[in-house]
Amino acid sequence: MPKAVFVKDLVKEFSKRRAVDGISLEVDEGEVFGLIGPNGAGKTTTLRIIATIIKPTSGQVLVCGKDAVRESAEVRRLISYLPEEAGAYQNLTGIEYLRFMASFYYGSEDEVKAAVEEGVRISALGERLKDKSSTYSKGMKRRLQLARALMVKPRLAILDEPTSGLDVTHAFQLRRLIKEYAERNRITVLLSSHNMLEVEKMCDRVAFINAGRVVESGKPGDLVSKHGAETLEEAFMKVVGFA
Amino acid sequence: MPSGLRLLVIKEIKDLLRDPKILVGIIIFPALLLPLMGAAISVSTGSTIEKAYGNLSIYVVDDDNGPLSQALLDYLAANYVEVEKVAGPPESRLGMLSGGDVLLQIPAGFSSNITGGNWSGVVMYVNFKDFSMVEFIKSGRVDQIISSFKSELVRQLVSEEAPGRDPNALLNPIRQEYQSVIKGEAFSISPSVLQGTVQMQTLMGPIVIMLVLILAMQIAATSIAIEKEAKTLETLLTVPVSRMSILFGKLAGSVTVALLATVANVFAFTYYIGSVLGSVGASAGDLGQAGLKLAPAPEGYLILGLSIFGALISALAIALTLGTLAQDVRGAQSIIGIVIVPVFLPAIFMMMGDISALPQAMQIALYLIPFTYPALASQALVTGNYGMSLIGLVYMAFFTLAMLYIASKIFSSERIMTARISFKTKKAE
Repeated sequence: MPKAVFVKDLVKEFSKRRAVDGISLEVDEGEVFGLIGPNGAGKTTTLRIIATIIKPTSGQVLVCGKDAVRESAEVRRLISYLPEEAGAYQNLTGIEYLRFMASFYYGSEDEVKAAVEEGVRISALGERLKDKSSTYSKGMKRRLQLARALMVKPRLAILDEPTSGLDVTHAFQLRRLIKEYAERNRITVLLSSHNMLEVEKMCDRVAFINAGRVVESGKPGDLVSKHGAETLEEAFMKVVGFA
Repeated sequence: MPSGLRLLVIKEIKDLLRDPKILVGIIIFPALLLPLMGAAISVSTGSTIEKAYGNLSIYVVDDDNGPLSQALLDYLAANYVEVEKVAGPPESRLGMLSGGDVLLQIPAGFSSNITGGNWSGVVMYVNFKDFSMVEFIKSGRVDQIISSFKSELVRQLVSEEAPGRDPNALLNPIRQEYQSVIKGEAFSISPSVLQGTVQMQTLMGPIVIMLVLILAMQIAATSIAIEKEAKTLETLLTVPVSRMSILFGKLAGSVTVALLATVANVFAFTYYIGSVLGSVGASAGDLGQAGLKLAPAPEGYLILGLSIFGALISALAIALTLGTLAQDVRGAQSIIGIVIVPVFLPAIFMMMGDISALPQAMQIALYLIPFTYPALASQALVTGNYGMSLIGLVYMAFFTLAMLYIASKIFSSERIMTARISFKTKKAE
């Protein structure tokens, strides 16, 4: 059975800047995998390459056995991507937005309807879904986006900083929602975060990324023990040489 | 239409038409503003004319009291002017005149001088207070009546001096007649009447086309910039729909909204022109049979339609391509602000004169701009000279294909996400 994500020697250069410098990683089906690193470490660039938005300078990326460059159309049928700070169309209502996005994935009206109902349930926005998304708070917008990403039950959900900018309550609810939904529907989740606590609680395995390279990977508990740290944050700091 | 493209077109139209900036700014506002302006001009001009032409009265200081001064006063009265005779030097009465009041001084010896074969003058004092149109129209009307009296008088004097001769033939021995030749056929219309009508048609075409193109470019560039700014584009690029569908969805959405905006603008502009022309009693001129000769042929409309369509698609391809380079809506608008220059340049040149009269280098530059050809095609509707428009269609087809190719290359590559043009000045290190 192919890996949900297989990345080998991934390099991405923008002009003269090397954003990703030889990243390799593997994610199993049904796993919640976290990329941890500071701002500018290369997390978003890696996720964008896997999500087929940009192409690698070199290296190989496979999603469920499909090549992200040569078979990008097939890969897009398997994935769902949540960008950091993603927005919806300001002049569409929440429900119109969910319907619009679901229609790309399903051929029949019944399937679209079922996906939208799932999106309504995940978002838990109730009657507010009938309002234009421009009237939503930041937390509501993020719930709508997460609902959009998960309602189509993708083989791989790619979530870039899923709780970015949210307060403690909303971030907690969203983390629980992702974890439960992934377990119940056997969805593979690849997420990025610079919030170590978030990753420690949600992810089965993590990779530390620094300056475009994977510097360490494994189960959160194992990494903490291996580096004689008390938290994942401390382990990261020890690995990158700041502690 | 593939389902993905259909979804995108519907979404584009819905999203654009619900945008208050687009709905109000480019559809409702012009549709209401121009007719309101027209109505305001019509009402104010109508009341001005009514005021200027109704109950005109003048003061007359008749120092002559002869038969000809009386004839002049009778002539004024016959032309619905109320005459109030006053005495004393005119200067003593000037302070009492209201705005637009006319005081006519007929000097002593007016009748005897004219009948004796000498000239005589009248002095017309016009009091200006507000310098309004009413004041000018009133004085003009009195002036016109006096001129008319003068002509009658001259005819009478000539008849007396040369009995048995036609005074009109003596006074105006050469009568000018006009034959305007249109497409090889002569019509009894003066060039000035023809100019009024034809200019109306040939000017309106390029103006409306320019309006459509600029609107469409702004809509397209802004729509892609909004997607980038709101990060919806990043999501859209990962859903199972082809990049070409995204490009054509944007094109179709922008064209639809631009056409709606154009219909609103054209109706509003037509109403405005009608209101303004109707209010001042002007007319484009009834050309009779010549009008039929000037009526565009069906193939003219076909060529114009194809030219506009070609120009619209290439304009949108340029706008979408440049829109991808902008980081936000403000950046997109700045870019479009620059590229609309070649859109309105041909229209300006064609309004001001003839392209063929320009220096050769300038002619070549204009013919290289694809937006010249719809304006040429709109003029060809009247002139019937479709040659250059047909060549333009072929050129535009290649230009449009090239633009679509560039746009499709950008849309199908990562440049759509990574390309950047920044208008910000660099911060000091």
